[in-house]
Amino acid sequence: MMRALASEDLYRVEKKDLFASGHRACGGCGQALAARLVADAAGENTIACLATGCLEIFSTPYPDPTWRIPFVHSLFENVAAVASGVEAAYRILKKGPVNIIAMAGDGGTADIGLQSLSGMLERGHNALYVCYDNEAYMNTGVQRSSFTPLGARTTTTPTGNTTRKKNLPQIAADHGIPYVATATPDDFRDLQRKVKTALAVEGPKYLHILAPCPLGWGHPGELTIQMCRLAKDTGLFPIFEIIGGQVTNVRKIPVKLPVEEYLKVQARFRHLFPKSGPAPEVAEIQEIANLNIERFNL
Amino acid sequence: MDKLPLGLVQDLYQVVPYKTGSWRTMMPVNLMQIPPCTHSCPIHNDIRGFLRVLAEKQDYEEAWHILTRTNPLPATCGRVCPHPCEGGCNRRDFDYPLAINCAERAVGDFGLEKHLEHRKLIAKRKERVAVVGSGPAGLSCAFHLAKRGFQVKIFEAKSEPGGMMRYGIPAYRLPKEVMNREIEAILRLGIELECNAKVGVNIPMDQLTQFYDAVFLGLGAQLGVPINVPGQDASNVYTGVDFLAAVNRGKPVEVGKDVVVIGGGNTAMDSARVAKRLGANVCVVYRRTRVEMPAITAEIDEALEERIMFRYHTNPVKILTEGGRVVGLWCVQMELKEPDASGRARPVPIPGSESVIPADTVIMATGQAVDYDGIELQKIDNQWISANDLQMTSLHKVFAGGDAVTGLETVSMAIGQGMRAAGAIEDFIEGHVESRMAPPPVIYSKDLNMYYYHKGKRFQKEALPVHLRLKGFSEIYPAFDPQEIAREAERCFSCGLCFNCGNCYMYCPDNAVKPSVAGSTYEFDADFCKGCGLCAKECPCHYIQMTLEK
Repeated sequence: MMRALASEDLYRVEKKDLFASGHRACGGCGQALAARLVADAAGENTIACLATGCLEIFSTPYPDPTWRIPFVHSLFENVAAVASGVEAAYRILKKGPVNIIAMAGDGGTADIGLQSLSGMLERGHNALYVCYDNEAYMNTGVQRSSFTPLGARTTTTPTGNTTRKKNLPQIAADHGIPYVATATPDDFRDLQRKVKTALAVEGPKYLHILAPCPLGWGHPGELTIQMCRLAKDTGLFPIFEIIGGQVTNVRKIPVKLPVEEYLKVQARFRHLFPKSGPAPEVAEIQEIANLNIERFNL
Repeated sequence: MDKLPLGLVQDLYQVVPYKTGSWRTMMPVNLMQIPPCTHSCPIHNDIRGFLRVLAEKQDYEEAWHILTRTNPLPATCGRVCPHPCEGGCNRRDFDYPLAINCAERAVGDFGLEKHLEHRKLIAKRKERVAVVGSGPAGLSCAFHLAKRGFQVKIFEAKSEPGGMMRYGIPAYRLPKEVMNREIEAILRLGIELECNAKVGVNIPMDQLTQFYDAVFLGLGAQLGVPINVPGQDASNVYTGVDFLAAVNRGKPVEVGKDVVVIGGGNTAMDSARVAKRLGANVCVVYRRTRVEMPAITAEIDEALEERIMFRYHTNPVKILTEGGRVVGLWCVQMELKEPDASGRARPVPIPGSESVIPADTVIMATGQAVDYDGIELQKIDNQWISANDLQMTSLHKVFAGGDAVTGLETVSMAIGQGMRAAGAIEDFIEGHVESRMAPPPVIYSKDLNMYYYHKGKRFQKEALPVHLRLKGFSEIYPAFDPQEIAREAERCFSCGLCFNCGNCYMYCPDNAVKPSVAGSTYEFDADFCKGCGLCAKECPCHYIQMTLEK
């Protein structure tokens, strides 16, 4: 069930600074940018539930939190359960309506928090789950997560990750939930539209946002937006929505780029490009991108 | 304490934020830099400025005022300038450069149509300046001095002002009406004009230097220099300058059936196209090839369209005469050998390749010189006035500009020199030693973030069909649609000037970019900016740049 939204509301860019200045994120943090875009799109009538992670650490220290909306601090693994509880409490107390957004990093979503996320989606709580995907446990010092892409160097995979990235949007969609989407902060209009669309849908929703991490990925902070763009244009991060089980609104790539352009900028992939020529993983990563392009008809 | 909404335990709007600005080593700043169009324009017109006004507000009046801050003759330049600005345009590396020249003409025509008046900058001053010559250089110098309040008097040797614009440029390129009205608008600034007063002949040079605080010489290069071939004194052999001046004065010139034009410069192209309009078959004879021709490329193209024949590698040896009249031109074919002192390939005759081109008139557009009658000053190569980059000459308080200084150049170059001379004259009179600021750096396309621009089609001006053009001297490009010009202006990258795209505002992860109080651009909040450089990287036009923190 979807509340009707006028298209000018849907496509309007929101800047309310509900996620204000003064947070302790690194310069050029993609997650801080994405969190502000999500909070501004959701509006004042929102409760943020935060899993342990970078976002929770840099935005909530007492006495000067950066949120201008209420937030709940939870553990690493149970943010979806906490959001479910908040939603259930509001329902029982007959308060609201209020937007409930659970926010977690990729570790808290794909590894530790997967069971509670699955529970929230399966029980059908009316909450939005936003995963800020920076492709490793950045908060604790860049350890590998199940979202770490193939070939990426982390402190626990010093010679490069050997597994492929988990496809969580598909896992979430397979719970039969009404709305799943992916987004990147460089296209803020699209990201905010997806947040507003998701919040207008009754039931559990899942939004997957790529959040480049200058520290963990090893690119200059000024290139955060550029990294989003390259991830999209190489086909490594497809942008789509899954509404009622159907993949729609796929973003077509205007000019397809080879994955090298994306990989070469980042220090975590630098070992793939020794002087003797690119490592075999590069071809495999290109194959992943080609698979995405074919599968989503990018 | 008031009850807080939504179960809050702390009033989040009362929080004193932690100042993250202390982490910073680099700081973004808004820097207005010079776009390449302005940089490559000899007059340094604010091209970006007038295009932005056209694109945002379609305000032709303001655009005209922006343009005439530097260029007093926009409608003229919009027609005859070879637009080096378009060669500099950063869009060149993206799709096609903007049609700046067409926009300039549209704005200039609007000013003429609405009888817009130039703005005076300051009140009248008592110093007097004499300007010799009312060509583009002289008019520009007089214009800029009059705007600064000086009392200016122009001395013109001919009967009407305009110099080479009037006597050299044919009406199909520059209608006399357009030029007359632009000159009138300049003179309405309070500039005195004395025609038929040839300095050095009617008025001695000493008199000027005595009675005026400064003198500007915009003499121009009005003397045609014929090449030395036998038969050149026949009655229907003209120099290009004399031929164009006669036609432009309205004197009937009988050219006959076949006309041969010798030379490959702009005067040669103009002479050939004028002769064609007088009903002759025209052949241009040039020693080298099209590549080496000094004429503006567009002029050569238009001449070719008008079915003017070009004979390259051809050198005149002798003009054949019969009873004092030309009947033909004896030519020899040349081949090009290693380059000469001018850097162009040196033509060498091929033996046994002589031929005769029949001709009723021969026009020699083979060079021009300055008429120094009665004016003594230091020269370069005994030909052009020697002047420094402030346009000062060897004579005390005498400045110079235009063709007489640069050799044969364009209208815009002359206007630019007149403008620079006006600044130098002001400094000279006021006794400033160094007042001109070093120009800011230029922005090139490597500095821009091209991701945010869209490829588009360039505005194409449409010429009249050739058979209509050749019927008379009416202008070959009809007026442009102001709407289309405004659309073309929207293609401007606005290199180095904020156009409120809001990228910096939306992308700052620290919300440290705020709309400025004036509301026109964005400012940086030094309390919270971490100096990541995202705003500078994502600024499409390089208005934001990172500098070291003080």
